[in-house]
Parts: sequence; structure tokens; C-alpha cells
Amino acid sequence: MNAVGLNITWIIFMPILVIIIGLFYLGAARKITARIQNRYGPPIYQNIIDVIKLFSKKNPTNHGVMFSLGPVMAFSGMLISLLFIPIGNKALLSFNGDIIVLLYLLVIAPLGMALGVGEGGNPMGTIGIARALTLMLGYEVVLVISIISVILYTGSASFMEIIKMQSGGVGHWFIWPLFLSALAMDMALQGMLGEKPFDQPVAPHEVASGPMVEFGGKYLGLLQLYHAIGIVVETGIFVNLFLGGGTLFWWFVKSFAVFFVALLINAVMPRFRIGQAFAFFWTYPAAIGLIGLILVAILK
Amino acid sequence: MNGKNEIIREFEYFIGPQHPGITGNFSIKLKAKGDVILEAEARPGYLHRGFEKLMEQRHWIKNVPMVCRICVPDPDPNEVLYAMGVEELAGLEVPERAQWIRVMVLEMSRIQAHLSYLGGISGALGLYTAPQWMTGDRDYLLDRFEELTGARVYHIYTTPGGVRRDLPEGFEDRLRETLDYIEKRLTDYYRLIFDNPVFQKRTIGVGTMDPDWAIENGVTGPNLRACGIKADVRIDDPYLVYDQIEFEVPTETGCDMFSRAMIRFQEIQQSINIVRQVLDRMPKGPFLNKPGNPLMWRVPAGDVYVRVESSKGEFGYYIVSDGGVKPYRVHVRGPSMTHGIHVIETLLVGQRVADVSPIMFSLDICPPDIDR
Repeated sequence: MNAVGLNITWIIFMPILVIIIGLFYLGAARKITARIQNRYGPPIYQNIIDVIKLFSKKNPTNHGVMFSLGPVMAFSGMLISLLFIPIGNKALLSFNGDIIVLLYLLVIAPLGMALGVGEGGNPMGTIGIARALTLMLGYEVVLVISIISVILYTGSASFMEIIKMQSGGVGHWFIWPLFLSALAMDMALQGMLGEKPFDQPVAPHEVASGPMVEFGGKYLGLLQLYHAIGIVVETGIFVNLFLGGGTLFWWFVKSFAVFFVALLINAVMPRFRIGQAFAFFWTYPAAIGLIGLILVAILK
Repeated sequence: MNGKNEIIREFEYFIGPQHPGITGNFSIKLKAKGDVILEAEARPGYLHRGFEKLMEQRHWIKNVPMVCRICVPDPDPNEVLYAMGVEELAGLEVPERAQWIRVMVLEMSRIQAHLSYLGGISGALGLYTAPQWMTGDRDYLLDRFEELTGARVYHIYTTPGGVRRDLPEGFEDRLRETLDYIEKRLTDYYRLIFDNPVFQKRTIGVGTMDPDWAIENGVTGPNLRACGIKADVRIDDPYLVYDQIEFEVPTETGCDMFSRAMIRFQEIQQSINIVRQVLDRMPKGPFLNKPGNPLMWRVPAGDVYVRVESSKGEFGYYIVSDGGVKPYRVHVRGPSMTHGIHVIETLLVGQRVADVSPIMFSLDICPPDIDR
């Protein structure tokens, strides 16, 4: 098979692989949290069963065109972002500047959700999505600061280039020279993943699962898939920028390790109020990121 | 144009009765502007079973299995109160051993109620590890209740004249083991909940009430002690054998959610100490003074008000007898009636939507006690 054929096969199978692995991540998250909480927890494949069940349900009540399109837009926005993330040293779309394109694409998914939830008309969903967008404004700043320091350090805005520069073992990973930026980005990641203390958008005790409150059946299934891809994409950015990418197996091991750290923090933290979360992002992580950026600019 | 914008920004928001952030069958209707609450309206009534009226239709002894259902998380104060009231009216002697056992049951009930309270408020703030741990540890205490009374939640153990049965063989040792275990776990709870910077940030200075306002509006129990006022029925008006037991009444000065949670945490330790003292000093002897044929038993005419310190505040029963085989009137004074309606409606105004559920949990509202 020639290179083009391989690429086409990869395009078709990669999202399926990522969805399945992402669902296993969610299952593992439930299991790990359960063990911390002295419970047995569901089997690790529970989320796959859930998604199959949700997709075999009849079409639930519809609130309008945008209501149906919202989850689709969120899902496809995440799927497009995935194409820009090199997984196992294979990038489908790789060019100088793809990191910046990815930053724009990451916003599509929450905006899609906002449009869908807005048409649903449930106040809890509206509050939830307003919180999600506010939170996004908080962590995006930190994310951009960290990414800029990586770009400044390497002189390249392409994931593949950055991964190549980190090849040659653990000592070459950018997490060592760019430790402060990595730390800031890990804090932002906690917000991107929606793990506590930054799970305000879906807080059950406050807004009863927030944006998801009106979505049921197939829509909820689609949102589960969106969440599963989201975890892989978001941890993938960190793995590619700071942990040196890796072969397919090691890439997923590293990505799960990043997710695992987030889970441990998630298990012992209550959630901030939304204002406190926003203030937190613009103080500590932003300050750490800025110091990192200044250090890179001076030392470079 | 301006007016139109106002209408869009204000909205109604319902918490409960089907909402994860509500304490049982209860509802709060909020009017919010953006994220700030303008008006709160407590809506009880989902659990109205007419207990007070039902009690007038039943023989004195037949009310015992019913009163414990007035407060689900902490049922024993109801049983003890009803028994104390009827005994006082009928002039029934209670054996001393029964009084010590009642103190033990009350304090065990307080520990398990406080454990579920701490789990509840942590859960409302999103710290889901705490409720899971505490529900698990509370279950060990429920095991002891099952051994002692045959039931886990509604014990129906205290009857007029004493308690239904004596302690089973080896019960004291097993109860001591359970208490040791819970005491050991308190350190973990402290580190998980009170040492947590996010928990402190969410609770300190939120949901505060003025001490004078609290007294005027009938706030009692741990909620009042969180305002720095040392008010405890166990000390102020000792009942059973509390005057022979040494214990402290912890107070805090914050008046906020953090203080209210901290009071409960400290009271768990005090209750453990009380149960240990009871186990050490409990006399031997009879445990029940039977009042005779329950269907024919007549209580002399008169009225009585009895009160105890429950885990939620002052619990009182006003019982009137006309000399018949049934009560003429039983009135229940529950702490949740004040905390769950007027106090919460006032405290919520001006707070954020995110703080509604934690404030509600911090007041320890028990909806069946409002509706009874």
C-alpha cells in the first residue's frame, strides 16, 4: 500500500481508535475515583456500554434545529482538532503554525454547545454554558502564554517540529527547560478537562449537570463521544509540547499519565465558585506562565 | 429598552424537589439576576404525612413506631422525647439503666447524623470523596444500631417506661471498636475537608448571620453555637443523666458555613467521649418498667413540654392528655421549621447561585421535620 492509502486508512481508523481509548479513559477515571472513595466502581468498559445504549435509544424531544446541531458541532469541532494533533508521531495535517490553528479550533466545540443549549431554554443549562465560556476565557489565556513560550523556545509553531526537537530520551523533553510553562499549562489543563476544582459548568449540586440537562438519548451519546475525544486532544497537547510525543503505545501511556494526575487532584478538591476559578486562572497560573515566558525570552 | 433588558436578565430558578443539590423532599424557588439571588422562597410540603393529627387517633403506645419518622437522618431524639413526655404525664418511673442506654443511643444517633451532615456539605461543594467515606464509616455505626435495636434507620427502641431490650452480649466491646475506628478516621476527615484551601475559600465568610438576629429568629443548636453563643439543652436544662456526664460544648465565632461545619466535626469527638463514659459507668439492673396493658393504659390529664438537644438543634414535644387512652394533642417543635423556612429565605438573599445548596446543607435542614 502506498503512502496515500496509508493516510486514508489512518484518517478513517484514527478517530475510532481515539474514541474507544477515550471511553476507556473515562471508564478508568470512574474506577480510579471509586477506589479512592472506598468503592468498587463500575467495570472499566462501562462507558462504552453507556454509549451503545444511548445511541440505540429513540430520538428524544427536539427543541429546534440549533438544538440538534449543537452537539454535532461540538463533536465535529473536537474531531477536527484531533486531526491537528500528532498521535504516535503521525500527523495528518502538519505545517508551520498548526498549533495556532488548533487554538482556534478548540473554541468551536464550546461555542457549538452554547448554541445548542441556548435553544434548549433551560435556565440551568444556560447558567452552565455561561460558566463554561467564562471558564474558557480564564484558562485560554494561560494556555496561550504557555504555548507562546514553547514557540519562542523552539522557534517553530509546528507540533511535528517540536516533537522532533525533543527526540532522544527523557532528558530532552521540554518539561525540564520549560518547567514553569509546563506547570502553568497543567493547571490550565485541569480547567480544560473540566476536573475539579474547575467543574463549575456541570456542577450537579448547583446547576444539575448544566449543559447536559436538556440533552438525552442520542444527543447525550454524542456528547459522551465529544468528551472522550476531548480528553485525548487536551492531554495530547501537553504530551506533544512537553513530554516528547512518542510511539503510538507510549503516546497514549503519557497522555493517560497526564489525565491520571488531573484525576488525583479531582478526587480531593471541592469546586471553586466561578468567579474564584476565573480569578485563580488569571493570578497564579498566569503569573507562573508569564515568569516562564520572560525566562525563555531572556535566556534564549 | 432598559426595562426590557431587566426582564431578560432576571429569571426564576427552581432547586428541588428533583435536583441533586437539595436536602431531601424540599424545594426552593429562587429569583436571580445573573448569578445573584434576589429572592428565595422555601417550599416544603412534599412530605406532609399528618403525623401530629395521626397521633391523636392512636393509643399512647402505638405512637412509638411513628414518631421516629419525623426526622429521618436523626430519628432517636423523637422517640426519647415522646417517651419522656408520656412518662412525665403518667408519672412512670424509668429504671436508671434505661436512662444511661437512652443517652448512649442519642449520642450514637448524633454521631451518625453529623457524619452524614459533613458528607452532605462536602458533597454540595463538590468534594465527593468525603460523602463516600462518611457513608461507609457511618454504616459501621448502623451495624451497631442493628445489633442493639434490630433496625438500621428507624430504631423504635425507646418506649415509655424504658427501652425495648437490654444490650446484647459483647455489644460494649464492639461499640468501643467502632468508636475507636471513627475517632481514628477523624484525622483523615479533618485533612480532607477543613485543611482544604478550596473548601476554606468557599465556606469562610459565606452564609453568615448575626448572633442577635439568630437568637431573635429561633436558631438553635449547632447553628447557634457557630455564632459564638454557648446554648445547649444538655447543659441548660439537663435531661436523663446528662448532669452526671462530663463533656464540652464547642463554640465557634465565625457564624459562617465553615464554623457550622466545624462545630459538627468537634461534636463528633465529644459524642464519642460521652458514649465511652456511658459504657464505663452504666449501672446494671432492669431496663424497662412496663406500663401495663397498652390498649387500656390511660394517662392522667395534663400537659407537658419536653425538649432535647438533637443534632440539628432544640427538639421539643408538647403533649396534652385528657385522661384517655389516646393523646389529646401532640405538637412537635422541630429545629428545621425555623432553619428551613425563615432563616434560609433570609440567608440566601444576595448570595450566588453556586452557594444555595451549600448554605442549605450547612444549616442541616431536615424536610420531614418541617412537614411532619
